[in-house]
Amino acid sequence: MTRPRRGTSTVAYGDVTGTLRERTVEALRDPTLAANLRTAGESWGEARDHMRSEYGLDDMRARARDIRRGNIRRLPELLTELQSNVRANGGVVVRAADGVEACRYIVGLARERGAHVVAKSKSMATEEIKLNEALQGAGLEVVETDLGEWILQLAGQHPSHIIAPAVHLNRDQVAALFREEAGRDDIPSDREALVAHARMRLREKFAAAEIGISGVNIAVASTGTVCIVENEGNARLVTALPRVHVAVMGMERVVADWDEAAHLLQVLPMAAIGQDAANYVNLITGPRREGEQDGPDEFHLVIVDGGRGALRGTEFEEALSCIRCGACLYSCPMWRTVGGQAYGSPYSGPIGAVITPLLEGPSSPGSRDLPFMSSLCGACHEACPVGIPLHDLLVRARARASSPGTRVAGVAFRGWSLLWRHPITYRLSTAMGRLLLRIRGRDGWVRSLPGPARNWTDQRDIPTRWPPRR
Amino acid sequence: MAAAPVTDRLLDQFVTALTRRKASCEVVARADAARAGARWIADRGVVRAVLADDPVIQGIGLPDALRAAGVDPIMWPTSLGRREQLGLEGPDDVCGVTAPALAVAERGTVVLEAAPGHGRAIDVASRHHLAVLPADRIVETLGEALARTYAPGRAAPSAVSLVSGPSRSSDIEKISTLGAHGALTEHVIIVL
Repeated sequence: MTRPRRGTSTVAYGDVTGTLRERTVEALRDPTLAANLRTAGESWGEARDHMRSEYGLDDMRARARDIRRGNIRRLPELLTELQSNVRANGGVVVRAADGVEACRYIVGLARERGAHVVAKSKSMATEEIKLNEALQGAGLEVVETDLGEWILQLAGQHPSHIIAPAVHLNRDQVAALFREEAGRDDIPSDREALVAHARMRLREKFAAAEIGISGVNIAVASTGTVCIVENEGNARLVTALPRVHVAVMGMERVVADWDEAAHLLQVLPMAAIGQDAANYVNLITGPRREGEQDGPDEFHLVIVDGGRGALRGTEFEEALSCIRCGACLYSCPMWRTVGGQAYGSPYSGPIGAVITPLLEGPSSPGSRDLPFMSSLCGACHEACPVGIPLHDLLVRARARASSPGTRVAGVAFRGWSLLWRHPITYRLSTAMGRLLLRIRGRDGWVRSLPGPARNWTDQRDIPTRWPPRR
Repeated sequence: MAAAPVTDRLLDQFVTALTRRKASCEVVARADAARAGARWIADRGVVRAVLADDPVIQGIGLPDALRAAGVDPIMWPTSLGRREQLGLEGPDDVCGVTAPALAVAERGTVVLEAAPGHGRAIDVASRHHLAVLPADRIVETLGEALARTYAPGRAAPSAVSLVSGPSRSSDIEKISTLGAHGALTEHVIIVL
């Protein structure tokens, strides 16, 4: 269990139905979803613009990028340092090659400690390794305590955003879920009442839980400390009250020292939620010490490879720099239109479209189409606080996902390339195109085209002149 | 903590940032600190406070001031059970009182270090949070605060919490709602 190797876990959700295209079309037909996503995207955009103008977020980007690139380059040695420092602090470190190994360890631990209730704070890594399913399969009660994650647990849905998992639901939908869970119909739909209800309901779970499970935003190698960033306070309760704390991290979360951590801890909330600080940052250095009354007796750090190690040194290495802020999701016209659930993976949006198929490896056809969920507009690159060239990675991921084309397609593309290389032939061909559209069109619109062009007209009409006739 | 006296600039910066983060504060002379703290707690309508057993809190005489204001001061480590700490049994409206080791002027952050006298969750387990901060513990940036907390040669605390305002959730419709799992209100008494 200590030697990392190429992971083989599935990252995409197993219970997602339909093809990516079918899920996308379904999402496009949901007017409530569209309205909720629009509200979310707009409020994030305003808050983040404020961070750019007042706090110089753009200037902080270059250093954040350098830090993360350096971390990934030195990953093996940083992990070794982290591991030895966590152990020196009295913690247990487990290196898991993939999600299956990580789950096996955590389920085994829960069984050995005779646990019945597990309280979790928000963690994409545990979402990736399907930890909840594994624990529930072993008969444990697993409670998500982040408000958004709890709402989704009640709804039986997957998160639609890395940071704001229930962003696709509105307050009436949330109130209906709470009423059903509590068996009461007197819970009003105003936000304060909903938050207050969840607070008291989940306190029962904090009081009962024997094991607390958290993710890790940043792990600091020099002192063996894990940083857990949150706004609600649930991660603190998860890491302070239960007797055992298990922190689960993707192996690329590590940074060298506190100087680097301080920079990233400021960049993260600015990019993620447009705030200059998160409300709570919990810095955990091992279990409780002699004489301390709260804090866990045991601290376990599970470091998951899950296909990450194999990306080092490849053309996709920069994807490992990601700090999981979710900025590329909000900035993406695709994500803003269909939401995260259509992606069928815990990681949606541009970064999800890149890393889901990479982490799964070539043997998982389910996520092969994901790199095509992009218009390649580059808004994600502009939004990324660590400067990952996501649009380039998307193109490379497409090349990786595509099978070599047929001879006919090859000839067609070469012909197209020749035609558009010279102004005269370019103008001639577009004039020809316009003429064909006019012949084909009726009342100024082309509503269907034959052959491969159908893929376009199935979703939208083409105007035969500009501006189009209404 | 024999640091240089806090400059007006740092103090102003910290007060502005606290306000932005929806926390309240008052700057008081040492002789007035206990009365100010007890008044704020009593005004919340609470009858019980859980206090970090810290020289700062004892030094200003807060426990006695609380008793005089009709609030029961319970020192950490506490005999309260977990359900009482969380407000599931006994009075729901409890105030947690902490003694930050440092504060970050730029961000309105208080830095809480776990210790035998200072529980990890005193602030978030309670409905209200009062922090008693000597003014000379304010530094400008998060980087400075973390460099001091994790200075080479100093044993890293088992847990450090950076707290920047009351608990908040934007999980419903992306609109910030206070008092999620942690404290609904936060007040910082800055002691000159």
